[in-house]
Amino acid sequence: MITLKNIEKVYQTKTIETVALHNVNLHIPKGEFVSVMGPSGCGKSTLLNIMGLLDEPTNGIVEIDGLPISRYKDKELAHIRNQKLGFVFQSYHLINDLSVLDNVELPLLYRTGVSAAETRRLALTALEKVGLSARTKHYPTQLSGGQRQRVAIARALIGQPEIILADEPTGNLDSVMGEEIMNILLNLNRHDGTSIVMVTHDENMAMKTERLIRFFDGQQVSDAKTSAYDYQKV
Amino acid sequence: MIRHLFKLIWNRKRSNFLLITEIFFCFLVLFAVLSLIVYNVRNYNKPLGFKHENVWLLTMRPDTDSTALNRQTLEQILQRTKGFQEIESVSLTNSNAPFAFSQMTTNLTYGQKEIKTDQFEVQDDFAEVMQMQVSKGRWFGPADNGAHHKPIVISKALERQLFEGEDPIGKVLPRNDSSSYQVVGVVDHYRPSSEYTAEEPAFFNRIYLPENEDEFYGEILMRVKPGMGVEFEERMVKALSGIGKGWTMEVATLEKMRQNKEKVSKVPMIALAIICGFLILNVALGLFGVLWYNINRRNSEIGLRRAVGASSSQVYRQFIGEVLVLATFGLVLGVAFAIQFPLLQVFDVESTVYFIALGIAVGMIYLLAVGCAFYPSRQAAAIHPAIALHEE
Ligand SMILES: Nc1ncnc2c1ncn2[C@@H]1O[C@H](COP(=O)(O)OP(=O)(O)OP(=O)(O)O)[C@@H](O)[C@H]1O
Ligand SMILES: [Mg+2]
Repeated sequence: MITLKNIEKVYQTKTIETVALHNVNLHIPKGEFVSVMGPSGCGKSTLLNIMGLLDEPTNGIVEIDGLPISRYKDKELAHIRNQKLGFVFQSYHLINDLSVLDNVELPLLYRTGVSAAETRRLALTALEKVGLSARTKHYPTQLSGGQRQRVAIARALIGQPEIILADEPTGNLDSVMGEEIMNILLNLNRHDGTSIVMVTHDENMAMKTERLIRFFDGQQVSDAKTSAYDYQKV
Repeated sequence: MIRHLFKLIWNRKRSNFLLITEIFFCFLVLFAVLSLIVYNVRNYNKPLGFKHENVWLLTMRPDTDSTALNRQTLEQILQRTKGFQEIESVSLTNSNAPFAFSQMTTNLTYGQKEIKTDQFEVQDDFAEVMQMQVSKGRWFGPADNGAHHKPIVISKALERQLFEGEDPIGKVLPRNDSSSYQVVGVVDHYRPSSEYTAEEPAFFNRIYLPENEDEFYGEILMRVKPGMGVEFEERMVKALSGIGKGWTMEVATLEKMRQNKEKVSKVPMIALAIICGFLILNVALGLFGVLWYNINRRNSEIGLRRAVGASSSQVYRQFIGEVLVLATFGLVLGVAFAIQFPLLQVFDVESTVYFIALGIAVGMIYLLAVGCAFYPSRQAAAIHPAIALHEE
């Protein structure tokens, strides 16, 4: 699904040079739920941005479905993001001036050939999946943090992406709401076969995924199947 | 996508309210100034009805109060002007010569109709001096000596209003208790006030000296041969001053008078255009500032849109599109207001003038909006998605 080869990311500012990622090699197969952990500033968000084609690596190759994307133009990258990727962020990134329904519909506005009626139908289905059918006409500011994150997940899954990239999706939530979000993601992974890469600071959350990658100072320090993996396969 | 933009603008109507009002007022001012300019330009392109080149106006002020004496001198002066071979034709006139700052109006009635009209008192040769086109009937002349009714020539504008399709030639109109006018001819146009003024109904009243014994006319219009200049003017004034001893005499070319009139008409237009220009600049800066500010505030939204599949050029188009939608909101209000002028005929101005002004104003507002949005939108499109999405 996504393969990273020898990824290097260096942030160059006037005064200092930060190596955010160094020699990262990673393969995320289809249908896998991977969590990424590591101390603050170790490059987790940078990794997700590169996987999500939102940022370019300084060196190395990113392959989506076996195709290197290094020569792609902005328009083609946008197209791949729209077709194959879904994003969930710690701070939700909902548009406050749009209703819940309109927020969820957003990715399909950038997809050609989907009628307004079809978009609406898919948005309602997505909201149903995250249990927010009753809140379609609300605005983000009228929702709790957990509800907002569920809207963001609905938005990430409306386009039926192959992979969802979630950067600390439960970071702003208390443990109960975090649990809810985690369950939604797990369901998505099990029932729809969507691959998920999730950055988290929560060991318990990470243990529920199949594979855990640990980062330190821009480098992978470990990459292992979790006990949940064995449990799942049983 | 357009629906999406309308929705976005609509939901942000409170924060966009100020911008929309600004665009609304800007449009109205633009519409008003453009209406004035279009009105003037359209008038400018219409025929004056006469040719003012090589026509001079001699203005005289006698030094006595004795009308009888002054009349005698005046007739001698008039006779003398006809003696110059440099002068082709002459006509006495009242103070309302072409491009003069003087007007004389009266009411004419025909049947139930009463029309306010400009009145010009001139002699038989006036048509020749001003090279007027008579389209119906004839100009007055010696044939009218001793006529029972006073002969008049009317303009088409007056004909339309007073006779509404009836043939005006020969029609008798009451003048006062004891006498009446008879229409002997129609001229196409006569628009002497200025090139920017609309044509008013007009008629010409014959000066026939033997019958107007107590009247004094202080102005003579004369058509001179092409190329006549200061040398001839001095020679002529010298000769005429010999007859009217002690009289003040002044010669002005109609061209000079036209230029004076043009200045007077143009100054308010230019002043308004400058004020309007400043206003537009102000609105433009405001628009630019708000758009610029909005883009910084909407970083997260821009990043998010890029993440869900918007390309950089789509972000660009979205921001331009938003401004166009914003302008459209302001314009819908503005046009609804402006359209009342032609619909209710608030001023006596052709509807076409308003519609042209409306069209230009709408176009200019859109251009202004896009012009202001151009740079901020490019900035928005250039924002790197990873940075825009960076968590604080
Ligand atoms: N745009 C940037 N310019 C310069 N340096 C950057 C930029 N973005 C990130 N960095 C640096 O790169 C390193 C990795 O940042 P990143 O955001 O990936 O960390 P993170 O693992 O997501 O941390 P956290 O857990 O706090 O979110 C940090 O040292 C950070 O300061
Ligand atoms: Mg991070």
